[in-house]
Amino acid sequence: MENNQQQGAQAQSGPYPGGAGGSAGAGAGAGAAPFQHLLQQQQQQLQMFWSYQRQEIEHVNDFKNHQLPLARIKKIMKADEDVRMISAEAPILFAKACELFILELTIRSWLHADENKRRTLQKNDIAAAITRTDIFDFLVDIVPRDEIKDDAALVGATASGVPYYYPPIGQPAGMMIGRPAVDPATGVYVQPPSQAWQSVWQSAAEDTPYGTGAQGNLDGQSMEF
Amino acid sequence: MSEAEELPRSIMRRVVKYKLSRCSEDGEISVSKDGLLAFSESGRIFIHYLSATANDICKESKRQIINVENVFKALEETEFPEFVCPLKASLEEFRKKNARKKVVVSKGKEDEPKKKRKLEGESSDKGEGSEKGEDNDKGEDSDKGVSGDDQ
Repeated sequence: MENNQQQGAQAQSGPYPGGAGGSAGAGAGAGAAPFQHLLQQQQQQLQMFWSYQRQEIEHVNDFKNHQLPLARIKKIMKADEDVRMISAEAPILFAKACELFILELTIRSWLHADENKRRTLQKNDIAAAITRTDIFDFLVDIVPRDEIKDDAALVGATASGVPYYYPPIGQPAGMMIGRPAVDPATGVYVQPPSQAWQSVWQSAAEDTPYGTGAQGNLDGQSMEF
Repeated sequence: MSEAEELPRSIMRRVVKYKLSRCSEDGEISVSKDGLLAFSESGRIFIHYLSATANDICKESKRQIINVENVFKALEETEFPEFVCPLKASLEEFRKKNARKKVVVSKGKEDEPKKKRKLEGESSDKGEGSEKGEDNDKGEDSDKGVSGDDQ
């Protein structure tokens, strides 16, 4: 459309440097008045033409014709062994449904990017859109959110860089090995560590017997009963 | 996952860009490479999810072929009921186009025997003409040639 406007501007100004079709040098001649009149008419016609063209272009909404390939959709469907036979019209519906789904996901991702004042859609915008929207729950594992992982890592680690230890399930309720779960300064319970850390600490605790006092503790603290 | 199972990124980019151009009026919004990959992967999983649900519905109704109604029910089950209306509209459009194509094809098939008959008739007429009036044709040609030379 911009090209059209540029062309219109060129057409209006005329090919000559002297304004509209060289009207600057036309005033001196005998036939100056009719010539200028013709030029004005031409300019009006051009303006009308380009305004009409612009309106027409603005009203056209038929640019969008991006259907997903049906053969590819059939392949994706057939990847599931349970899916046996598909009617001829089903892939057409799937293609359109997938397109609508992508549009929905796009707008939700854009909202997240816009909140963070960004002009580029990133993977974490899509992940945020998925986590925020209940109907996109089936995608939670497909597009993992990096920010959440980072936050969890920060919460799990203490000031000394060692996570809190929680006793195994079979252990007596009163016994606590390592640092307490309650932060003495704030009195707030700290989140339990991730599974990976827990398994490491458990294996270390099992190696040494409970009765050995400080040696059995990972942090060198005495047992609390 | 093989590349044959991936949705084409060019089309995905076009779909995403189309929507983004409508969202933001003040400027162009770009999509990162990993973002585009995430869209493509999400679309693929959505197709899997929907086809699995439609297949379950199909099995419940004791049928083997996944049809349109199964897909619509699957969309409602997967909590995408707002897709049903536009999908029905696009399906109607597709059916109309198909009907037009069928009409054109059937007309073509009907016309073919007529054309064949006409062609056969014309060829037989030409054959008769050539047998009867070979001398005339030659004469005409020679006359034309002469007139051309004279001019």
